[in-house]
This record gives sequence, C-alpha cells and structure tokens, in this order.
Amino acid sequence: MTIMGILDKKLSLRDRNKMLIGVWEDEDHLMSGASELANAGVHIHDIYTPYPVHGLDRIIGARRSKLARIAFFCAITGLTLMTTMIWYMYVHDWPMNIGNKPVRFTPSWAPVMFEGTVLCTAFGMSFFFFWRNRLVHGIKNELLDIRQTDDRMVVAIETVNGMDEKAVLDIMKKHGAVEVREFHNGVQTVL
Amino acid sequence: MIHDSIIRDRLVTGDKTASDVTRDIARPILNNPSTAWKIGFTLSLIFLGIFGVSLLYTLFTGIGVWNINKSVMWGWDITNFVFWVGIGHAGTLISAVLLLFRQKWRMSINRSAEAMTIFAVICAAMFPVFHMGRVWVGYWALPLPNGFGSLWVNFNSPLLWDVFAISTYFSVSLLFWYIGLIPDIATIRDKVKSKLGKTMYGFFSMGWTGSTRTWARYELISLILAGLSTPLVLSVHTIVSTDFATSVIPGWHTTIFPPYFVAGAIFSGFGMVATLLVVARKVMNYENYITIGHLDAMTKIIMVTGTIVGIAYITEFFIAWYSGNIYEQYAFTNRMFGPYWWAYWSMMTCNLIAPQVFWFRWARTTPWFIFIMSIVVNVGMWFERFVIIVTSLHRDYLPSSWVMYSGSLTEIGLFLGTFGIFFTCFFLFAKFLPVINMAEVKSILRNRE
Repeated sequence: MTIMGILDKKLSLRDRNKMLIGVWEDEDHLMSGASELANAGVHIHDIYTPYPVHGLDRIIGARRSKLARIAFFCAITGLTLMTTMIWYMYVHDWPMNIGNKPVRFTPSWAPVMFEGTVLCTAFGMSFFFFWRNRLVHGIKNELLDIRQTDDRMVVAIETVNGMDEKAVLDIMKKHGAVEVREFHNGVQTVL
Repeated sequence: MIHDSIIRDRLVTGDKTASDVTRDIARPILNNPSTAWKIGFTLSLIFLGIFGVSLLYTLFTGIGVWNINKSVMWGWDITNFVFWVGIGHAGTLISAVLLLFRQKWRMSINRSAEAMTIFAVICAAMFPVFHMGRVWVGYWALPLPNGFGSLWVNFNSPLLWDVFAISTYFSVSLLFWYIGLIPDIATIRDKVKSKLGKTMYGFFSMGWTGSTRTWARYELISLILAGLSTPLVLSVHTIVSTDFATSVIPGWHTTIFPPYFVAGAIFSGFGMVATLLVVARKVMNYENYITIGHLDAMTKIIMVTGTIVGIAYITEFFIAWYSGNIYEQYAFTNRMFGPYWWAYWSMMTCNLIAPQVFWFRWARTTPWFIFIMSIVVNVGMWFERFVIIVTSLHRDYLPSSWVMYSGSLTEIGLFLGTFGIFFTCFFLFAKFLPVINMAEVKSILRNRE
C-alpha cells in the first residue's frame, strides 16, 4: 500500500460511521454551540474552519502537539551533524594551515553550526507537520462543505451507538447553525 | 469575554466579511490579468532581457567586462549583493519578529513581504556566484568530497559562512512562505473553475481541509518557525557584515558592522515593501486591507531604523578619530571629502536626513509621498553599500595602487536586470497566488482585544 493509501485509510471520513454535520457562519455562535455539545458529552470528531479560531482545539479535546519536542530533537540532530562534519573535514581528514590559525574547535565554527541547526530544525519539524496532518502533495481532499475554506465553519460529529442524534441536532440549531446535514458512505443529506 | 476594541483602529476597513475577503483577494487570480498587470509584466520582462544579455556577455567574455580591478576588486557586484540581501530581510522580519511581538498589522503585508524576501535573495545570489568568474565550478564553495586530496572548504572564512547563511535563509524563508500559503491555496482550489487550476492548486494545497487539529499545529509551527527565523535573519546580515568586518581594510575593520548592517537591512527592506505595497494597494484595490494605518506603522519603522543607521555612520567617524589610527582616520575623511564625496553625502541625505520627515503625521499617511520616500531610501541604501565598498578599497595602504572606479555598462545592465528578475517574479506571484494572507486577515476582521 502506498503512503497516501495508508494516510487515506487512517483518516478518511468515508470509512467512518454516520456523521452529523453542522454548518455555521459566525464564530461566536459556533463557539457556544461546540461548547454546549462538548458539555453534553458529545464527542466532536473535528471542526473545519477557514481561519484559526482560538479555543476550538480545547473544546474538541485535541491533545497538545509534540511539534516543539520534535523541533528540539531536530535541532540537536542538526547541531551534532554540523559539528561532526566540520570536525571531520577541518580537523580529522585534511587539516589546513591558514594564517597559522589553530586547527581545532574555534568560535569561527559557530555560524555554520548555527545555520545547519536552523536548517535541520525547520525542515525536520515541517516534515513532521506535513506527515501528522496528512498533508501530502496530490492527496485527495475531503471537504464536507465547499465553502469551509472560504467563510463557513463545519462541525463533524461521528455517531456512536446510543447517541441521541435529535438532541445533537437541536443543540446545533439552537446555537445558530445555518444548516444541519448527515454524512454517510460519502453521501450528504440535508436534514 | 471578548470585546470589540474601542481604542485601536480597525486593521481591515470597509466592514468586510470572510466571504468578501476571499472575493477581493482572489479576484486577480480568478480573473484575466488587468492592463496595469500586463504593462508591468512586460516592462519587467524587458529588464529581465537586459539581465540575460549582460550575463551572457559576462559569461562568454569573462568578468574583465566589469570595471573591477586589482584595488577595487569588489564593485557594483558586491554592492548589489548586499543591497538585495538587505531588501530580503524585511519579509522575514515582518513574518517572524512581528509575529513574536503579536503585531497583528503584519497580517495584511506579510505574504507579499515574504515573497519579496525570496525574490530578493535570488537576485542577491546572482552577484557573488557570477563574480566567481568560472561559475561552472561554483560548487567548489560547497563542502563536497573532491579530487584535490579531499581539500575541504575553509570554515574560518566569512565567505563560506555566507554560503551556508544565504542558502539556509533562502530555504527556510521559502518553507515558511509555503506553509503560510497552504490554507490560501486551498481556498483558491475551491474557487477556481479551470481544470488545470484545480489540478495545480489541488496539488499544492496538499489536501488542506481546515481541520481544527491542523490549525492548532499550524499556529504552533508558525510560532516555532518565527522563533527560528528571528535569529536566522539577524545571523544572515551579521554574517554578510563579517565579510567586511573580519578583514583588515581601514573602514571595514569595525565591530559596529553587524548591528549596523542589520538595522540597514530592515531599513532598506521596509523601503522596498513600502514601494511595492503603496502601488499594489492602489492598483489591486486593496486599500481596505493595506490601510493608511499599515503605511503609518511601516514608515515609523523606516524612521527608527534610518536613525539607527545614521547614528552608526556618526559612531564610525567618532571611533576612527578616537582610535588614533591614521589609516582609519584617512579612510573616513576620504569618504566624506574624497573623490566619492557625492556618494557619501547622497547616502547621508537619503538615509539619515530624509526619513526624519516621518516625524510628521502627514508624511506618514500620504501614500504618494511615502512612495517617493521609499525610493529615496532604496537609493540611499544602495549608496551606503557603494560607499562602504568602493571608498574603502580605491585608496589602500600603497598610494601607487590608488585608482578610481565606476561601474561598466555591463555592471549597470546586471544591476538593472536584477530588477527584471525581481519584478517578473513579483508579477507572477501577484497573478497566481494571493498577495494578502486571506486566512489570517479573516481572523482579524473583528477588532478584538
């Protein structure tokens, strides 16, 4: 199976249970609606917004990202790689006498070590970011609403056995959802 | 509890909604190019042609077609290199430093400033690369195993630091820019009608859906990249300054160079951002997004950094006198009153005196005046690099090797040609990508505090 296949299988919305979709146009109403849903014990699968809305990640119970730790790990790797490279080339393999300056660790190594550290951190962390978010060139995007990248905010709730679907839909409507839908096996139905 | 701010001016005027933002910003991408765009793009291509001709002439004849000589071995080429690298600093500054300082006004201008950074660094890289003469062995500057007994590069040399600094800066800036672009490319993907457009924007949007988890990580990665880019941007121009400062040439051998170069880079970078955005906001109808408030903030930065640079000029003179070193003293007296006095006084007028006009509110809020001043700043900063390089080199320790230097037609052609590269890239960017960060601007439509 290809990488895209694995990523698709892991996160595809089509392969999940029936989903209830609420569409909002106002972030304040969305916040209050999502909060009440969360307080009612409903597990929100995800919320799709055209811009970052602060606080939603806590409402849906998203865990704190490990990106900062990954960045630190990449930085240490970059620093070690660059230091080793300079030491190997400049001290071990072919020491050069330039102006009789010492052939050993000197502060003049710092700029190259620093640049290498930054390069490794930026690209290592970004690779992790792309991987973790299923951001791959050419991957099929799954939009629940064509305007979710424009001006609409979409709440997706995966149904589970025993869920009171009517109560969920009522909460959505009460908090100003402009549309409520059902998504099952790749087909959307307006409720 | 969230309140609408009653103190701060709105960052986006005209009571725009999220949908209005998409429509306004995506308009140039979704419609046919305007006449202004066509004229600008054609002019850019003409300058690009001038670059091509000058470069081919240099390559096929040799860098003897430049007027550089045994005393003035760095002339227009390195002047232009430092000029463009300096311009390339404002983008990262706006994205990174202003993000760390939580300056939300950066959101309307960061995208175009970052694009400017990337294009300016491409222009900058042309000069040291072709100054090598035999550009086809340019890879010797990289630490690669080779056939000379594995003779490696010299890690003590600032010129090598430059290779690492500029390439890292370019790569990280490109990455930062691209990651910031992904949500907006996805917006265009969902708006564009043509099949080719859907395929291309679909490919580069990487399946972006706007998931809350992705946004949370996106904001975190932006913050960490900003934290990385801030020391990076400072390191790049610091390293460029050490190309001069670690030498023993009177006029170059000064410890003030790193902060002074960094301030100069921000100054010239904001000069170029102002040049581009004053025109873009008018031509592309972005006056509600790039408001007078934005111009006001940018001109304040221009004034502050211009003053820092001016103080650095004066400090250099003081230290040359105070050092008691006759060579240093001569180098600076020669700058001010020697044969290149006109270049020195142009620099002082454009960089120190002219920006002081921004103490006045009228000057900070009148677009046509800001446009003229931004050109003055760019001219002044080009002269600064010319003064530092040429006046320090043309009279060295031995009077027998004193010479005069002026750029040849080819050197002038190459310099003008880099404007062709820069503006061709910028016009293509303005046609195919959103010039303003739509996603971020949508998040500040309500004036919250």
